[in-house]
Amino acid sequence: MAGNQEFDADRAQDFRVVGTRPARPDGMDKVTGKARFGADMNMPGQLIGKILRSPHPHARIKSIDASEALAMPGVKAVVTAEDFNADAKDRDVLTNIMARDKALYEGHAVAAVAATSRIKAQQALKRIKVNYEILPHVTDVDAAMQPDAPILHDDMFTQGLDEKPAKPSNINARHEFGHGDVEKGFAQADIVIERDFKTAATHQGYIEPHACVANVGADGMSELWVCTQGHFHVRSQCASLLGMDVSRLRVTASEIGGGFGGKTTVFIEPVALALSRKAGRPVKLVMTREEVFKASGPTASSSMRVKIGVKKDGTITAGEASLNYQGGAFPGAPADFGAMSAFACYDLENVKAVAFDVVTNRPKGAAYRAPGAPMSVFAVESVVDELAKEIGMDPFDLRLKNAARDGSKSSYGPKFGKIGLVACLEAAKAHPHYAAPLGPNQGRGVASGFWFNFGGETCSNLNVNEDGTITLAVGTPDIGGSRASMCIMVAEELEVPYERVRAIVADTSALGFNDTTEGSRVTFSSGMALIKAARKAKEEMCKRAAMMWDIPAEAVYWAEGAAHPSGPNAGDFEPMTIEEIAGSAAKTGGPIAGHHEYNADGAGVSFGTHIVDTEVDPETGYVKILRYTVVQDAGKAIHPDYVEGQFQGGAVQGIGWALNEEYIYGEDGRLQNATFLDYRLPVASDLPMIDTVIVEVPNPGHPYGVRGVGETGIVPPLAALANSVSAAAGVRLTDLPMSPPKVLKAIGATKLAAE
Amino acid sequence: MYEFNYHKASSVSDAEQALRNASDGKIVAGGQTLLPTLKQRLASPSDLIDLGGCSELCGISVDGDTVTIGAMTTHAMVANSAEVQSAIPALAGLASNIGDAQVRNLGTIGGSIANNDPAADYPAACLGLGAVIVTDKREIVADDFFTGLFETALDEHEIITAIRFPKPEKACYQKFPNPASRYALVGVMVAKMSSGVRVAVTGAGADGVFRVDAFESALDGSFSASSLDIEMVHLPDLLEDIHGSPGYRENLIRVMGKRAVEACG
Repeated sequence: MAGNQEFDADRAQDFRVVGTRPARPDGMDKVTGKARFGADMNMPGQLIGKILRSPHPHARIKSIDASEALAMPGVKAVVTAEDFNADAKDRDVLTNIMARDKALYEGHAVAAVAATSRIKAQQALKRIKVNYEILPHVTDVDAAMQPDAPILHDDMFTQGLDEKPAKPSNINARHEFGHGDVEKGFAQADIVIERDFKTAATHQGYIEPHACVANVGADGMSELWVCTQGHFHVRSQCASLLGMDVSRLRVTASEIGGGFGGKTTVFIEPVALALSRKAGRPVKLVMTREEVFKASGPTASSSMRVKIGVKKDGTITAGEASLNYQGGAFPGAPADFGAMSAFACYDLENVKAVAFDVVTNRPKGAAYRAPGAPMSVFAVESVVDELAKEIGMDPFDLRLKNAARDGSKSSYGPKFGKIGLVACLEAAKAHPHYAAPLGPNQGRGVASGFWFNFGGETCSNLNVNEDGTITLAVGTPDIGGSRASMCIMVAEELEVPYERVRAIVADTSALGFNDTTEGSRVTFSSGMALIKAARKAKEEMCKRAAMMWDIPAEAVYWAEGAAHPSGPNAGDFEPMTIEEIAGSAAKTGGPIAGHHEYNADGAGVSFGTHIVDTEVDPETGYVKILRYTVVQDAGKAIHPDYVEGQFQGGAVQGIGWALNEEYIYGEDGRLQNATFLDYRLPVASDLPMIDTVIVEVPNPGHPYGVRGVGETGIVPPLAALANSVSAAAGVRLTDLPMSPPKVLKAIGATKLAAE
Repeated sequence: MYEFNYHKASSVSDAEQALRNASDGKIVAGGQTLLPTLKQRLASPSDLIDLGGCSELCGISVDGDTVTIGAMTTHAMVANSAEVQSAIPALAGLASNIGDAQVRNLGTIGGSIANNDPAADYPAACLGLGAVIVTDKREIVADDFFTGLFETALDEHEIITAIRFPKPEKACYQKFPNPASRYALVGVMVAKMSSGVRVAVTGAGADGVFRVDAFESALDGSFSASSLDIEMVHLPDLLEDIHGSPGYRENLIRVMGKRAVEACG
C-alpha cells in the first residue's frame, strides 16, 4: 500500500484550477432529461426480457417446463441455467444470476423469457412450470450459524480454521486480524465494557433500477448497453458466463442513477445476453423496484460482540471484536473488511478482531459504500463512547489519546503512512457545533470512521484535438463527479481553461482494462493516469514546438498552456500556444495524445469524524436530527462541491441505516418491505443541512495529494447516531435501526427498571 | 394497466349515467390511489369515469357555521383556502400534510373518503368533526359513512358531491407519520363541538377510522390533556404491521390525542 512518492508539495502551493468549483459537465443533461440512463436505450427490433423468480426462500428445482410459454405468440426465447457456461470462472455468480439445482432465496432467478412486449413476457412467465421441492430456510445470521440450521451448500466447509471441519455449515470462512495479547491487555484495564450489537441489512437504494440492452449478432459479435459502475468487469464476467471471447463483447456504460457499490457486479446482464443469443434479436431487461430489493445485492446484516478495556487515564489497553455477518446465499459477506476496519482508528497494543462470513437464504450481497466497515465501527465506537462516559473523559480526548497516527501499526497489519485522523478529531473538537448548547431530550454523539481506499488497474487516454481542446477517455463510470475532477486535473496540468477539456466514459473497446468504479478509486487512479498522460502530451507538444522552432526539445518548457523557449540562448520566439501546436500537428508528426496505463498503488487511507445532535421524543420514540457535521480528510479536494456532496451523501445513507432502513423478513423467509412505501430512505425533508469540513492531509501517493472520499462518510454515522440517541434517551441503543417503536421500548424498559 | 374505456364526465348526472352503463365502472376523482393500482394491474375496471371536468363539484363555501367543500376540491385548495383556515384551521392543517405537493395538487377530498384508506387523514377529519357527506342521492352522516377497510356506505352508483363540516369551537389534528410511507401510523382528530367533544382516530384501526368513546366522555368532563390518562375501554382491534404493533399504536393514540387537546388551547 506504500506506493511511490508522487505528491509534489511545491506544485500544490499554486493550484489554479484544482480546488475551484466549476459547473458539472453532466448537470445540464441531467436536469433537462437529455442524459441517457440504462432504460433509455432502445434498439431496432428489440424484445423485452422478464425473469421468473423463485417465490420460495429455499427449494430444490426438480424440473422446469417452458414448452407452454414457448408456444405463446410473441415469445421468442426462454433461458434457464442450461443456457450459461457451466465452466464459468465464478461459479457463485453463475449460480446467482440463474439458479441451477436449488433456489436459494426468494427472488432467485430460475428462468427468463424474451417476448415482443413486456405484457407478453409477463404472461409467458406464468406459463413456465417449475416443480419445486420446498426446503427449510434460514434468514437470520445467528440462526444460520447454529449446528442444526438448514444447510444451503453441502460443499461449504468453513475456511480459516486450523482443521477442515468434518461437516458442512453455513459459515464460509473465519477471518482474524490483530496483534498483541488481548487477555493481558484486559487484565491491565481499570474498566472493561463488553456489549452485543445488531445491524439490519440495508439496500444501497439507488434510484435507477438495473437496466440493460443486449444485442448478440449471428456472428457472435455482441454489444451490451448497461447501467453499471464497471463495464470492463461486466464484460469479463459476461464473457465468462456465456463462454465467449472477451473481444466479441463490447460494453457501453450508460449514465448512472446511483450505484454506491450495488452496481459492481452482474445480475440481469448475462441473462439479457443469453436471451439475445437465443432469440437472435436485441433484448432489453429492466428490473422493477421489487426485483431490485429482492434480487440485487443489499448489504450484510450483522450480529457482533465488542469488548474494550481502558485505564482511568484513558489509555485503551485492549480491544476485541467478534463479528458475524450474513451476506446472502453465497460467500462474500464483507466480514473480513469489518474485522480490518473495526479498530482502525486506534493505535492499540493489544487488538483482535474475528469475523465469520455466513450464508443465509437472502439475496447475495453486493458492495455498499465501505463494505463491512459501518457495522463493526458502529459497535466499537459505541463502546468507546460508553467508556468515555464511564471514566468521565471527553469523547474526543479519549479518541485523541488513542488515535492512530503517522507510522502507527494498524489493527489489520500494515503501518499507516501519512494519515489525517488526528487532524479530523481536532477539527471536529474545535468546531462550533461541538460547543453548541443542547435542550431537554437532546443528545450529542460523535464517532470516527475509516476506509482503506483502492487504486487498481487503470487505463486512460488524452487526445489533443486539432483546435487545441482536449478530450479525455476514461474507463471508469462517473458515479460521483469524476468527469469534472478529471477535467480539472488535466486543465491544471496543461494550464488551459477547464472549459477546454471534456471527459467521456469510453466503452470497453476503446481502452485497456479498467477496474470498476469502487473503493473510492477513480479521482485517485484515473486522475493520476490522466495527470501522467497530460505530462506526456506536454512533453510531446514541447517537442513539436522545438521542431517548428528548430531548436532542441530540451530547450522548451510548458507554461500557461503554451510552449516557451527556455531562455534567450534557446532562441527568441513568442510562446506557441496549444491551439497553434495542435493546428500544425499534421506537419510535425500527426495527432498528439497522451495515455497512461498501470495498476495504481498508494491510495491513501481516509479517516473522518462526525458530530450529530438528535432530539428523542420520549412519548413516541421518534428521533429528529437537529444538526449534523462531517469532518473528513480528502487529501486534496479537486472539486470541493463534489467532495462535500460525497461527505453529505455518505452521512445521509448512514443516517438511514441507523434510524429507518431495514430488510424485514417474515417467518416464511420472504421480504416484507420490498417497496419504497415500506422501506424508508431518508429524504431531504427528514434532514437538516449536513455541514461539512474538508480536512486536507495530502496523500503522498498522488501527485496532487488526492485521497478517495466516497466511502468513509458512511462509516461513522451509525455510531454517531447511536451515541447521540443514547445520550438523548438516557439508554444505550445497540440494535439498528433505531425505529420509533424500538427506541420507545428501550426508554420504557429503563423507566420500569428505575421504578 | 389493463385496457379500459375512458369517460370525461361533464356533470354529476353524466357521470352517474356512465357509471350505470359500465359493467364495472370506477370513478376517477384525482386518481392518487386508483392510478397506481391500475398501473400495477391490481384492478381491471371496464370503464373509468373522470370527474375532473365537473366544475360544479369543485369549490369551498362558508355559510354561517358550516363549511361546504365540493367533492373534487383538491387537498391543496383546502390547505390554502383562507375560508377554511379561518373557519376550521385544523382541517386546513390536516390537508396541508397529506402526501406530498404532487398528491395535494391532484388528490381530492371526495376521492379520499370514497376510498376510505385506513391510514388516510380525511376520514379522521370527517368523523372527528361530525361531517355530513352529501351525495347525488342523499346525505350521510360520517358516523354511518365509514363502514370498514376501504368500505363506505355508498351505493354502487352513488357519487359524493360535497362534504359539509360544522364549525367546531376548537379542533386539532395530530399525526404520527409512518416513517416510510408518511401515511398516518396514527392520526387523531380532537374536536370540541357545540354538541360535545368528538375524537376520531385514523391509521390504527383494523377496520379503519373509529371514535374513542372513553376519550370523548373524559374530555366532555374536562377538556384537558391529563383527562386522557385513563384506560381506553372498548377500543376496536388495532392494526399490526411491520411499522408498529397494536400496543405501539395504542400508545400513539393517547400521545397524539393529548397533543391535539393541548394544541387546541
